[in-house]
Amino acid sequence: MTNYIVSILTEGAIFGIMALGLNVIWGWSGDFDLAYYGYVAVGAYMTIVLTVGPAAAPAQYILGLQLPYPLAVVIAVITAMAVGLVVGLIALRHLRGIYFSIVTLGAVYVMYVFAGQYVPLFDGYNGVFGLFNPMGDWFGLDIYEYPWFLMGLCLLMFALVFLLMWRISGSRFGMALRTLREDERAAAAFGRDIYRLKLKGYVLGAGVGGFAGALFAAYLSAFNTSAWSPVEIIVLYSAVLVGGRGNIWGVALGVLIMGLLVQESTRFLPELPGLGELNTLHPEVLLALRGVVIGLVLVLFLRFRPQGLLPERRFVDKQPVLDTALQTA
Amino acid sequence: MSATATAPALVVRGLTKHFGGVYAVEDCSFEAPSGQVTGLIGPNGAGKSTAIDLISGFKLPDRGTVLFKGRALEGLPPHVISRLGLIRTFQAPREWPGLTVLENVVMARWNSGRESFLRGVVGLGRAQRGTAASELVRAREILDEFGLANLRNERAGNLSGGQKRLVEFARIRMAQPELVILDEPMGGVNPVLGERMALAIEAFVATGTSVIVVEHNLPFIERVTQHVIVMALGTVIAEGPFESLRSNQDVIDAYLGEVVQA
Repeated sequence: MTNYIVSILTEGAIFGIMALGLNVIWGWSGDFDLAYYGYVAVGAYMTIVLTVGPAAAPAQYILGLQLPYPLAVVIAVITAMAVGLVVGLIALRHLRGIYFSIVTLGAVYVMYVFAGQYVPLFDGYNGVFGLFNPMGDWFGLDIYEYPWFLMGLCLLMFALVFLLMWRISGSRFGMALRTLREDERAAAAFGRDIYRLKLKGYVLGAGVGGFAGALFAAYLSAFNTSAWSPVEIIVLYSAVLVGGRGNIWGVALGVLIMGLLVQESTRFLPELPGLGELNTLHPEVLLALRGVVIGLVLVLFLRFRPQGLLPERRFVDKQPVLDTALQTA
Repeated sequence: MSATATAPALVVRGLTKHFGGVYAVEDCSFEAPSGQVTGLIGPNGAGKSTAIDLISGFKLPDRGTVLFKGRALEGLPPHVISRLGLIRTFQAPREWPGLTVLENVVMARWNSGRESFLRGVVGLGRAQRGTAASELVRAREILDEFGLANLRNERAGNLSGGQKRLVEFARIRMAQPELVILDEPMGGVNPVLGERMALAIEAFVATGTSVIVVEHNLPFIERVTQHVIVMALGTVIAEGPFESLRSNQDVIDAYLGEVVQA
């Protein structure tokens, strides 16, 4: 049970960082970016190939260095940002709305197929593995202590990313991103360089995604295309939607709710009448039902509460209204 | 042409824009005097809105020059022109609907240093906080001036059409450009509000903002402008004070006459 809680909290913290990065692009800049999980994957792949050393035949992958984990994370984040910059330069130039989404979908598919088919890069569909307990040796941790350490590290990093996002959310930079989302022609008319500002937000989001990927690599010890599945991605997007786009507290809440729903649905579904027997006979049906539950939540929210549980907060000026204004009211 | 002592706020020379075979703006030339309100009128399809798009950088002209403060504007992107001190509005109010009225006004002032990402993360120094506080005070004053103080925490998207127009005017007050081009500010506005807008336009001029106003409401043009430019079929057909245009046969044929027949 303790192991279960430790792993859930670790995964939740990593997932939370991912969602906060997505929120910069989708929540603040207002661009429905489908390439986002690609940056998570780049971060994870890069972290592994930078730390595990040369490939042993028949496996093959690029770099194969043995850098210390923190340095590898930094390089992985920079790589994710660079990839994000390339995609952003193309997709953000003129495209908005559904057209932007389609181009980013294309971009992530190119990344996915490339990672899967071009074997010398990350060993194709086998993926890369072997990142065991990074930084564990430094602190002399054994395999029973290490999960606690990783949980603490991930929770701390989540807190730091949350703090960063909290600062940005209330800053002029964050407000400027929102003016683009609300009406970018008006933003340009009042001096905002739309393309540059959108690119900044996009690359920031990609970097946070890459960072989450780097932590994910430490948690999974390995990364391949099956970790890059549509189910993971849908859960990520629905967490941001359910919690409330644009509101970092909402995003955190969404991660909590969707995380629990996904984790716990395999537990509570067999409790429902009739499903218990089904589970013993065909466990795979119940696993599929989990996807149905997620989809149902997504549809219900889109229909009845598209702004999410905690909608974006507005700045409320509490200064008392001036006398003259009261007269006109 | 009325002689003005100071340099014109805006000089347009031979501006031309084709859309396929359509000549939206064809060899359009005019000057807008500094420190005055210039009206830009003409029938639908005369090229007024396209001319504004060309001047403010939202569309690229095929030919011609636009001079503002001695600088050629053609080819510059909209945000650069805005930062130089030329701000335009749009035919439909373009508020930032999800932001509050107060946020709409505060964000109307572009601020290079404080809008950077790094500044957002490491936060504001003492001097910067001072600027931010004084801007907030200024935004409150402006909203009070426009009778919007009690709506300042409301999301701008929830306001009525007329109130959105007022928010747009408040944003321009905040931005304090040297020249503002208002594209049909009276669209969907009642007469009482119209008077308030006329006063606001006078206040713009009093605080050093020259004004160009595109409008179909001719009593309003007569009320606020000192100088009027008449466009038809993409080019300027007449200009001068509004009274002098009443008797101009070209203007009657192209524009005023239509109003009488209608």
